[in-house]
Amino acid sequence: MRYPTPLLTLIRELSRLPGIGPKSAQRLAFHLFNQPTEEVLSLARALEEAKTGLARCPRCAHVMATGERACDVCLDPDRDGGLLCVVEQPADVLAIERSGEYTGRYHVLHGALSPMHGLGPEQLTITSLLERLEGVREVVLATSTTVEGEATALYLAQRLESSGVSVTRIAYGLPVGGDLEYADEVTLGRAMTHRRPV
Amino acid sequence: MPRYSVSDALVLRRTPLPNGDVVVTLLSEHGKWRAVARKGRLPGGNLARLSLFHDVTVQAYRRREDDLAVLTQVRLNGALGGLTRPEAYPYAHLLAELADALTVDTHVGERLVAVVASGLRGVARHGDPEAVALAYAWHLIALAGLAPHVHGGPTPHCARCAAPATILATADGTLRCVEHGDGPRDVWLGSEGAADLARTVGAPLREAIAAPARERERALRALQAYAREHVGELRALRSLVERNP
Repeated sequence: MRYPTPLLTLIRELSRLPGIGPKSAQRLAFHLFNQPTEEVLSLARALEEAKTGLARCPRCAHVMATGERACDVCLDPDRDGGLLCVVEQPADVLAIERSGEYTGRYHVLHGALSPMHGLGPEQLTITSLLERLEGVREVVLATSTTVEGEATALYLAQRLESSGVSVTRIAYGLPVGGDLEYADEVTLGRAMTHRRPV
Repeated sequence: MPRYSVSDALVLRRTPLPNGDVVVTLLSEHGKWRAVARKGRLPGGNLARLSLFHDVTVQAYRRREDDLAVLTQVRLNGALGGLTRPEAYPYAHLLAELADALTVDTHVGERLVAVVASGLRGVARHGDPEAVALAYAWHLIALAGLAPHVHGGPTPHCARCAAPATILATADGTLRCVEHGDGPRDVWLGSEGAADLARTVGAPLREAIAAPARERERALRALQAYAREHVGELRALRSLVERNP
């Protein structure tokens, strides 16, 4: 038996989302079909508004509402403008903000260097990072501790070397509350290499 | 196929998913296969060892043969820190992407994984990662049975006459002279470039690395054109060529 065309279209569109396979897409499609019309229309409106109502901040490339001059962090006068934290994704900004330990500004790269995926320096917001260094005394490289994130941090450190700005990398080490026994070898090795006096 | 299997493998590709899972492409003695590491993006767990280019031993679970394997255990055998250096990183991607492309439809054999691992080690540690990557890339192509045919040893001559070879005819993988090389995708090498290519393709790896191509940009373009014809477009290689226009 063939599904009706609108249902097939919905399944196909849902299965294009990351992490959603054909089976999950089918389950979601039937779930939506069984919901009240106003709830489904509300979801559709939210999707549309999220796409049309959001833009990249012209300064840091973080997410902001369309029509604003800049994002909340860039417009906040209490932020330390001399401190710039470079992250891969907008979600990383939110994660660091939750820590409550950082008071500077951000720069979102929108990815990490990965030549085999077609992601080179031109595909990231590296040019705009290099253009906004005036008044910055320290750049904190907070890219992921994956091979891709590490390579991106080393590349940026090389590019920033001549700028005269101090460049630091977020610390490596063990997760708080974790047992040494269960730590992986790379993390443990890095924690030993980057140990500090107490 | 047993539901649980254990194998040594290299991580060729790593695709993080928003739900915290990671899909990895692994190259082992049994060929290339894909697997998912549930919550592999979370730090601290053993699945976090699945970083790009890591040499790992994995335990995988597969309910049916056509299912995507689920990784249940990962042990790290070796990580090459030197591959993250800006001067080495793009070349590691080149070797990994090439190995991935060479194994799309075929099982190239257990030697491939050893050569890729050796190439990555060379790229990580050698002072000239570009020379290592070029030599290993041609060697991988040769392992897949796709190497160009070189006539005349260190001073190659045209495949159709005795004139010195100056052109790589990508379609049939021969070196040609000016008169016989007129294909639309042929690559001009010059006699020096043709000799370099002959040495890189024909000599043992150690010799090819010790005497690398003198004109690197031309060597990269030749590899790109040849790979495009026989293997497919390699994005890592394209970015390297575009970096040196």
